[in-house]
Amino acid sequence: MIVADQKPFHEIKGFVEAHQNILVAGCGTCVTVCLSGGAAEARLLASGLRIAFQRENQTKTIEEDTVLRQCDEEFVLPLLQRVKGENIDAVITLACGVGVNFLADRLGHIPVFPGVNTTFYGAVMEPGLWAEMCSGCGQCITHLTGGICPIARCSKRLFNGPCGGSERGRCEVDPQNTPCVWQLILDRMKQLGRLHDLQNFIPAKDWRPALDGGVRHTVRERIYRLDYKNP
Amino acid sequence: MPQQANPVSLNGFDLLFMYFTGTKVKNMSGTGARSIGKNMDNRSVILPGDPLPNCSAACPVHTDTRGYAEAISEGNYEKALDLLLQANPFPSVCGRICHHPCEKECRRKEVDAPVSLRMLKRFVVENTREYRRARRQRIEPTQGKKVAIIGSGPAGLTVAHDLALLGYHTIVFEQDSQLGGMLAHAIPRYRLPLHALREDIDDILAMGVETRTACRVGVDISLEEIRKKHDAVVLAIGLSESVTLPIPGSESEGVFPGITFLWDVANGHPPPLGDRVLIIGGGNVAVDAARTARRLGVGQVFMACLETPEEMPAWQWEIQEAREEGIEILNSWGPKAVLSRGGKVAGMELKRCTRVFDDHGRFAPQYDEARTMTLDVDQVIMTIGQRADLSCVKETELAVKRGRLMCDSHTLSTSEPGVFACGEVLTGPGSAIHAIASGHRAAQAVHHYLQTGERLVLPREDVPSLGLLPQRVASLARKMTRREAALLDPRERIGDFSEIESPFNEREALQEARRCLACATGARLESSQACAGCLTCARVCPFGVATVDRTAAMPAEECQACGLCAAECPAAGIALKRFATNQMKQTLGEILAPARAVKIWRPFLVAYCCLYETTSRKYLKPQSLEEIEGSGILRIMVPCVGRLSSLDLVEPFEMGADRVVVIACKEEGCLYMGSEELLGRRVAHAQKFLKEIGLEKASLQFRQTRGSAEASWPAIWKEVQHETAPESEKESLK
Repeated sequence: MIVADQKPFHEIKGFVEAHQNILVAGCGTCVTVCLSGGAAEARLLASGLRIAFQRENQTKTIEEDTVLRQCDEEFVLPLLQRVKGENIDAVITLACGVGVNFLADRLGHIPVFPGVNTTFYGAVMEPGLWAEMCSGCGQCITHLTGGICPIARCSKRLFNGPCGGSERGRCEVDPQNTPCVWQLILDRMKQLGRLHDLQNFIPAKDWRPALDGGVRHTVRERIYRLDYKNP
Repeated sequence: MPQQANPVSLNGFDLLFMYFTGTKVKNMSGTGARSIGKNMDNRSVILPGDPLPNCSAACPVHTDTRGYAEAISEGNYEKALDLLLQANPFPSVCGRICHHPCEKECRRKEVDAPVSLRMLKRFVVENTREYRRARRQRIEPTQGKKVAIIGSGPAGLTVAHDLALLGYHTIVFEQDSQLGGMLAHAIPRYRLPLHALREDIDDILAMGVETRTACRVGVDISLEEIRKKHDAVVLAIGLSESVTLPIPGSESEGVFPGITFLWDVANGHPPPLGDRVLIIGGGNVAVDAARTARRLGVGQVFMACLETPEEMPAWQWEIQEAREEGIEILNSWGPKAVLSRGGKVAGMELKRCTRVFDDHGRFAPQYDEARTMTLDVDQVIMTIGQRADLSCVKETELAVKRGRLMCDSHTLSTSEPGVFACGEVLTGPGSAIHAIASGHRAAQAVHHYLQTGERLVLPREDVPSLGLLPQRVASLARKMTRREAALLDPRERIGDFSEIESPFNEREALQEARRCLACATGARLESSQACAGCLTCARVCPFGVATVDRTAAMPAEECQACGLCAAECPAAGIALKRFATNQMKQTLGEILAPARAVKIWRPFLVAYCCLYETTSRKYLKPQSLEEIEGSGILRIMVPCVGRLSSLDLVEPFEMGADRVVVIACKEEGCLYMGSEELLGRRVAHAQKFLKEIGLEKASLQFRQTRGSAEASWPAIWKEVQHETAPESEKESLK
């Protein structure tokens, strides 16, 4: 899932100082799960903005709404209709960066501001703790490393063993919270009985499927542009 | 709150109707109960098909027990009385003598011990007398039809009550000068003082029910004449005669039928008794007779019964209290002969009873005739069973077979059209509450007959209930000692017929009411679309009840209604049936409407207080607008403040509050494990957020009750209202 953190309040408030009718849009999927942008956070932020502007004697209308996903046309439609119908002049979205782009593309002249900083693709390590697990590089190599990604989980993204900053299995960048990924890979390969595989050199990665190759698209031919839907 | 599918507040009467019309029999303790929360509003509302809490299901009239316990804990004793009266016209009587099947089934027994529901009922009745008198209403007969009820016991008066409510002209015939039947004449005063019975009867009479006391049907007026003058007749004549034993010596002077004995004592004509009295029988009437004899100064009272201590039909607590009063119980002994000297009782010969019931559980006593014992006694009181006095139906067409009135338990009809029967004459010996339930059914049958001319077939009543509280949930609930009714010292008790039980005081009642688990009034997912399946509810639930399988589920029959999942749900998708904070927003909105806000005392404080900390209703009563305006304090009583969400903590500022304080219960006093920790963290989160907005830190405070709520809260309110922010913070605010 995508993990995001809410932006500082003053930053968000700063985005909409010049606007009058503001909609705070929550997203009901990833950011709900990571407790940063679901309906509860949308309501809280909207309430906070109302309090803050009231204290400055500014009269603004601040509404909130949450949809299941801000990255699907069908779910976003009610938001778009609301923006139009209620003369909303600015939207703060608590969805990840995808939601910001997706909404902004559809709203055109109405500005869409990010309410969260999208941080990583991660998993819940324990209730309340999320950790990065994947970087979306476009060409997965974890079959070589026992299911552990050295791109997402190594501070230096090293492919062939640890650097000199690996001390007692911890990463020198943040020894308290971060294990050295190459220690983890070593242990896992041992567990899998494949330690010898680590003697094979992992060649330099082709970074073109990552962002280096330009904007990425994926097409699923089996449902893409169906003729009977687009006569 | 989204509009629910026609929620209606149902009383016992409606419920009976509902179940007559085909409610499925189902115990909902299995997985099938998962859907029960779906149609429930956030108040105590029961919808057709919903399983009832065990207490209500077990109550023969299905009193909304959970509802009145909740109303008590909210300080709304008047609402509690309304709920009681909706199902039962005899709350005062039942508050004293009901055998409380509700408590037997109370789901709290899995945690520690059942809630003292009967005592709570008594508390309500005794603390709402003025209100009860004020709510009385005469009901004009609008149906143009008259119904005669023979007998003024609990069954007869319930029929009269219900039919009067339906607009019938009802007339109750009573052979005695006093109304109440067995309640007035056979239940000893130490259990049910007359004034307590009178409270209920006065209420019924105030509706316009007419009575003809000291009127013996069959003597003073014939049943046929009554039938001619009325559109329907209900025989609620009870079982007013004791069965006698055809054993040698039973005609001796000093052998009394039990009911006659109790009746005479209740009416101030106790028979002269010697120093040793034997009661034959092991039921509740036997215990009443024994304890009555003790109070008449009899030095040694014995009870002899066929049954073993475990088999005795009397309630165990009655047996215990009788033993405490010095009554000796001779178990497994049956009567063989009354020994007499000069025609007077001199003793009793008893024979060993080896077995009371056969393999099918039928009464079929077997004796060892060789084993006998003799007891020297001066009097013998026979309480081995009761039968109806059917003199009122003599010389009528009504069918009587082997001394029993012929009536159909499904239609409550007798052999004659328009003549119905209810209460013990129909059901056999039973409790007051069963007689009341039977009265409700008879009223339905009569109403149907008078409207259609047809007999109504009342199906056997089976009510779906929540089932047992699973042990894994019960083991995680906090134990709280059950408050028992305080009884007088046994030596004091036997001095006279004064009531032996002291009522709960307000503090005791409030403490006991909060022991109610509020079954099936917990959390429910408002819509499956809102749920992201994030697992937060499952992770914070202190009882391991919430689960996520695609979407969250909080099985109503397991949820303990702590509200933590609702407070933490990031999708704001979990609603609580019992306390919806959106009411808070509405209340604040009304109070702080611009025109009013000018008048309000500032700084204006919103105080969320834990409802469960109160020991009186001083702070439970709704505040007047003037009080709020004058003091600048709005109290919001929450059944555990742990259920307040971050939004609940922040929103008051949006609505114009200057300060917010959350007052939790005393340290480690919370009903719900983890609630205190989660609330503390939530407050810290909200404080941080408010600080980012620019509010000073003192704006939102978390406090705990110190000592009694009534003593400590005003001090906390004052402190929070007037505490200024530290200088350093003021600087940073600039």
